[in-house]
Amino acid sequence: MMWSWIPSNWSQIWELTRQNAFLGIVSPLIGLAISLPLGVVAARWRWFYPPTLVFINVVYAIPSLALFIALIPAFGLTDTTVIIGLTVFSLCVILPNVVAGLLGVPASVKQAATAMGYGPLRRLITVELPLATPVIIAGLRVGVVSSVSLASVGQIIGVSSLGYLFIDGEQRDFPTEIYVGLFMVIALAVVCDLILVGVRWALTPWAAGRNRVPGSRPRWALATALAPIIQERA
Amino acid sequence: MLWDAFAGGAEGRWLITFEGVTKRYPDGTVAVDNLDLDVPDGKTMVLVGPSGCGKTTTLRMINRLVEPSDGRILLGGEDIRAQDPARLRRGIGYVIQQTGLFPHRTVEDNIATVPVLNGWRRAKARARAQELLTTVGLDPALAKRYPHQLSGGQQQRVGVARALAADPPVLLMDEPFSAVDPVVRGQLQDQLISLQNELRKTIVLVTHDIEEAIKVGDIVALYHPHGTLAQLGPPERLLGAPADDYVAGFVGFDRGIRRLSFFRTDGLSLSAGPVLPATTTVASAIKTGEPWLLIVGSEADLTPRGWVSAERLAGLDGGTQLKDVATDGFGHTFTVGDDSLRAALDAAVLSPAGVAIGVDGDGRVVGMASFDQLRAAVQAAQAAQDALDARDVLDAQAAQQGQSPGATR
Repeated sequence: MMWSWIPSNWSQIWELTRQNAFLGIVSPLIGLAISLPLGVVAARWRWFYPPTLVFINVVYAIPSLALFIALIPAFGLTDTTVIIGLTVFSLCVILPNVVAGLLGVPASVKQAATAMGYGPLRRLITVELPLATPVIIAGLRVGVVSSVSLASVGQIIGVSSLGYLFIDGEQRDFPTEIYVGLFMVIALAVVCDLILVGVRWALTPWAAGRNRVPGSRPRWALATALAPIIQERA
Repeated sequence: MLWDAFAGGAEGRWLITFEGVTKRYPDGTVAVDNLDLDVPDGKTMVLVGPSGCGKTTTLRMINRLVEPSDGRILLGGEDIRAQDPARLRRGIGYVIQQTGLFPHRTVEDNIATVPVLNGWRRAKARARAQELLTTVGLDPALAKRYPHQLSGGQQQRVGVARALAADPPVLLMDEPFSAVDPVVRGQLQDQLISLQNELRKTIVLVTHDIEEAIKVGDIVALYHPHGTLAQLGPPERLLGAPADDYVAGFVGFDRGIRRLSFFRTDGLSLSAGPVLPATTTVASAIKTGEPWLLIVGSEADLTPRGWVSAERLAGLDGGTQLKDVATDGFGHTFTVGDDSLRAALDAAVLSPAGVAIGVDGDGRVVGMASFDQLRAAVQAAQAAQDALDARDVLDAQAAQQGQSPGATR
């Protein structure tokens, strides 16, 4: 490990991290944007969902490199190729969560909403989607972490990312570069994940365990924020 | 608006009318079979019957959660299909067993749901929510909590408050108290009765519990298992004159006793009875010659302290004051006028002396009722009720023939 290499190459490391973050974050967000309408349709017309799921799983089985190469004739060696590929993969993990989240809304709540006089669209937006949020964000977290990690593969087809440090380090037989690349990918994934935990926390003030009954013992805020991560990783 | 046509209508009109309504599901199941039913304005109608009898389907057809296969339903004289379902529903409160509260909204925002849908500003809707929390017997401090932070009974009260928020003329309640324990259920039923005395909504309540039906209903519609009515009438008539063996069986074997709940104690004759202040000596108490004596606080304080038997007094020193004698207690009393004959009978059964103690509103003894006096009162009340029922039946027959002007719709 050659620590002095890091400061002298920091601007390049930072630039690659930025590139990697862009590819790894934009793709699952597009995936989410596509998953929401698809998920709503699948939750509403249940027959639509099983074939979709089969299709998605087949796509998910395609190796990322193969998918990138297949997209090159259409989109060339560009960010677009990588983003499309990563979007497809993240769609595969986000869509099932959108469907599960919507189907998990208690029937009594949906019935009550209808009986109160909600139209279908208003019920979806103000009742069902908010209640599905924790499950949807759980899917988004997996999508973001895997996209951030997979984005490095884009380097093989020449799209700049932290993958550069792996390839270059291997070619020059210089392990420090590989370790730095690995560390940055993992750090990036963890930071993105923590941000999403924060987003969920902000969007679901009602979630069980969040709200103390007045008078009860206050909790340690950080422990509360970290608890779901620790539980889910265990 | 649908309601305008009805506002200020004549007393005793029907608010909800089912005309030959049938609900047949695609698999051929008939949930409701050619139902004719009138729900009077401002009354509580309870639909009761075994599971699968069509009572819930009947309820859900009123706010169009279920559409009838045949027949029509009128609300305030208008066919409910004439209005947009979402708008129709905002004028009908709805309470369900699982509460259906929105887990992601605070108590006040849950209650404010329909006012907000109707375009109220949030601040005004929340103020209304605060008001309603008090109405349903909850602490307004609960407003900022989320539903999962409340007990089952509290959640159910919030459900009722939410249904009342837009002040709808009609309230539909689907097994509203079935998911809570018996003590809380009793409290919620009492609350509903007192709310209804104040608000005079038209309530349609579904339950499988005949006790609940008898307790909260002005009118009870008892269903056969397959979507037809077995009997329709006030609860005391179901108890006193069940239409057939099915109704008698459903109502239960001690219906005679339960019917007494509907008879007041106004007409019950009371005797003065052996009431002695606690300062009386044992010697003078024995001199009354009564087998049982009721001890009260003093000449001025007529609250009962307990029964004591002449037998026990016989073994005591004549100079002892009654306040120093161990008593057998007095079970419970009944409030003359307010309590039913059932409460008075119960008081007599539980009393060691076999006599019910009648008290006034402040708990002061006003008289005693023996089993003989109770029997006379029960017989008189039953005769009066039977005469009333017979007249109602005649009226109903006349109405069917179109002769009674009071029965025109």
